[in-house]
Amino acid sequence: MSTVKTVCPYCGTGCSMMVHTRDGRISEVTPDKSHPVSQGELCLKGYYGFNHVADRRRLTTPLRREGGAFVPVTWDEALDAIAAKFAAIRRDHGPDAFAMFASARCTNEDNYVAQKFARAVMGTNNVDHCARLCHSSTVAGLAQTLGSGAMTNSIPEIGEVSDLVFIIGSNTAEQHPLIARHVIRAQQRGAKLIVADPRRTEMAEKADLWVRVPPGHNIPLVNGMLHVLVQEGLYDKEFVAQHSVGFDDVARAIEPFSPEAVERMSGIPASQVVQAAHMYGRARAAAILYAMGITQFSHGVGNVVSLSNLAVISGQIGRPGAGVCPLRGQGNVQGACDLGALPNVYPAYLPVTDAAVRARFEQAWGVTLPAKVGLKVTDVPEAIERGDVRALLVFGENPVMTDPDSGALRQQIQKLELLVVMDLFMTETARFADIVLPAACWAEKDGTYTNTERRVQRGRAVVAPPGEARVDWTVFGALASRLGYAGLNYASAQDIWDEVRRVVPAPFGGISYARLDQEPGLSWPCPSEDHPGTPILHKDGHFALPSGKAQLVPVLFDPDTLPDAKAQGFSRAITGHVVEHADAAYPFILNTGRRVYNYHTGTMTRKSPLLEQLAPEERIELNPQDARELGVADGDFVKLTTRRGHTIARAWLTERVAPKNVFSTFHYWEANSNELTNAHALDPISGIPEYKVSAAKVEKSTAADAKAWRERAASEYRLGVERATNVLLAGRLQR
Amino acid sequence: MNRFVIADPKLCIGCYTCEAACVHVHQDAGLQAYPRLAVTQTAQGTMPVQCRHCEDAPCATVCPVNAITQAEGMIALNESTCIGCKMCALACPFGAIEPHGTSPMSQQLLDIFGAAAAAEPAEPAPPVAGDGLAPLGALLQWSPGVRTVAVKCDLCYFRADGPKCIEVCPTKALHLVDNQSLAASISAKRRQTVAKTSQALSAPAAEGT
Repeated sequence: MSTVKTVCPYCGTGCSMMVHTRDGRISEVTPDKSHPVSQGELCLKGYYGFNHVADRRRLTTPLRREGGAFVPVTWDEALDAIAAKFAAIRRDHGPDAFAMFASARCTNEDNYVAQKFARAVMGTNNVDHCARLCHSSTVAGLAQTLGSGAMTNSIPEIGEVSDLVFIIGSNTAEQHPLIARHVIRAQQRGAKLIVADPRRTEMAEKADLWVRVPPGHNIPLVNGMLHVLVQEGLYDKEFVAQHSVGFDDVARAIEPFSPEAVERMSGIPASQVVQAAHMYGRARAAAILYAMGITQFSHGVGNVVSLSNLAVISGQIGRPGAGVCPLRGQGNVQGACDLGALPNVYPAYLPVTDAAVRARFEQAWGVTLPAKVGLKVTDVPEAIERGDVRALLVFGENPVMTDPDSGALRQQIQKLELLVVMDLFMTETARFADIVLPAACWAEKDGTYTNTERRVQRGRAVVAPPGEARVDWTVFGALASRLGYAGLNYASAQDIWDEVRRVVPAPFGGISYARLDQEPGLSWPCPSEDHPGTPILHKDGHFALPSGKAQLVPVLFDPDTLPDAKAQGFSRAITGHVVEHADAAYPFILNTGRRVYNYHTGTMTRKSPLLEQLAPEERIELNPQDARELGVADGDFVKLTTRRGHTIARAWLTERVAPKNVFSTFHYWEANSNELTNAHALDPISGIPEYKVSAAKVEKSTAADAKAWRERAASEYRLGVERATNVLLAGRLQR
Repeated sequence: MNRFVIADPKLCIGCYTCEAACVHVHQDAGLQAYPRLAVTQTAQGTMPVQCRHCEDAPCATVCPVNAITQAEGMIALNESTCIGCKMCALACPFGAIEPHGTSPMSQQLLDIFGAAAAAEPAEPAPPVAGDGLAPLGALLQWSPGVRTVAVKCDLCYFRADGPKCIEVCPTKALHLVDNQSLAASISAKRRQTVAKTSQALSAPAAEGT
């Protein structure tokens, strides 16, 4: 029996946990009392979501597709085949015919090596990851307004300091339960809570003021709050004057957003806009918490910038308990962004288009680097259609389930000349691969993870990987050697991290493995060994922009048509509208997301019998009023259709959703909401899809139709998966 | 007095950690692997609902086989004695008792084998027992599973540290009410009552002077 301290593999809260093993297998997970964020608590996924580690369906050997079936091959065979094909595609079609989806589930070290592989070995900036689909609008928005696209404050401050918490577009209780705990602690101290959300979530239930925002109408609310604050002079004039630029343009842009106008535009009661403005404006230390309910829109950057405007104009930034707090979804999505798994920036957000920056990395990595910004995750499907991208390497992601319009994507990825997937399991994406590589999971490797508050923490190997599964970065090293590049041959995760510290010392120089073994993580920037880290960004109104001041940017919005900024006389403005509206044929609005029991596509959580028992299937949230009209009882099957496709699942009659709104998740291949989402309603700046608004139709279905649908879904998503896995298992038993 | 666990809906965030923990410890103890508290989300609030261990428990009164008895400060349900008649579930005023057993093929097993199995050609019907002429009657068919019995909170009597749900709740929304904590709560409220009464009675006089 042994016990190892590591970081929870699920959400971006970054809880610390003690993993106990018996006979080489994880037997139990217990919380870590000494950790400043989780403080001796965990949620159900942290406690009981570990069964996937020892699951017998883990991939244990490389597989190559021959005909319709996967056959086991050796690592040398697999790597030789991949390297030969990569080299051929690069020779015949240029380096940009290669693209890579990196992984927010993997360590900082994995992601650093992966993006270095794409850039230094393959010679392309076509490297991106699922942050494109969750917080790319945050990275793009906050970087231009505050100078850093990350959470400005630390999580414990919410519980200890904030006297107002404004949660907008975040189902905190379900998606970040241990951050919700800090909000509850704040309430116990007497802090007030505003929640703006289309759904009556658990936090909405506990709020002093809950504003039911129709999906896609956050900007009217936030601009309306700003209108009230500016009209009433209830803002921080000194902070605005000394620490920001662009106030006049924003003041002009919010002029039309009177509370009454907001009510006409969105249906949000004018009185609630005023009340929210007063509560926020009068707070001593107000923290804004937001997540996908802000970012996943065709105007995601506009949403983010409107919140940054609100915080800056109110002077609620750069102080304890204040700030703008994007809650990141994946355990290391912050780190994957920080380490440059993005098509436009190197590690530490240094732009690939800047010649001086490029020269610095060329020197560090000993190669010539491409200057052209690469493809985003959401650009790749069409690039495949055009024949521009011919080889795709995906590790630790399951895009067939998570990316919008799954039906179209499944067709597109089959047009690739080479798809390589490295994962723990034969995922829905891996079944389309030409070569599948078995990866070591979080419990089987060393490395660092960066949580949503920029805290870099040490993850530690607990058990040995199954069979021949390997740690991701070692695979990139082996491929690089075959392609004639020796700069990826590292001895250990620490070896990689020490290179990161040398190459980009400004954020990471002082964060050594030795310190991480002593301290419960360090928040970047931490440039030197004697630096304590930076839990609070933008202290004293200093912003990391050329002017040293925060940039206020006007956000124009009209739900129906995209406003024309030039016609309105704005030289710089962000504009937004909602792409799909309910109509006679599709009278409902579909909102998508997750629920507490499961994590994303369930490749990990659905291997836990406990979690699977609590939430075995999708339940489409339907308002009881609509259910009555449709003649649907709780637990009846409903068919949910959009212009992209349909799913059939059981209905959950609940007032969590407003009438004419439905909510569905992407946890279950049996009824994946990404069959329904729109791949063409993208934010023009960040490329994030509008996952949160699709016009939909709801019809009563039957058990027979549900069975037929499940069989179809099984053939589209699973059949090959289960067959391949079972064939392999049978083979292993014979051996 | 019987002890019981109760939740504060002001603190409960509906994270279901209590339910998962409940299943886990009972499974480990060889009891029904089913949550004995039910997180219930309503427009009025959210909290897990579980047995109040009533002093005059209607479930115990209606149980025809004495599977439910008062013992050691709780209402105990003997899962071995229970015949699954469900009378207790009907009688319970809190909705804290639920009949549960596993179906012959659990969802978990279906997910592992179902999809692949469903795609394979159907197996020919297995030969029937006995003379091989007639299929068995429904009553005589056998398949593996756990028989259905009543399931309710047992305060994790088998755990030295007490109810697991209280331990894992991240917001500490659950707590145990026993003789001691009830007495302390009553005494604190009595002191508050005295303070409020004396304040109320002395306030007008203070204003008058």
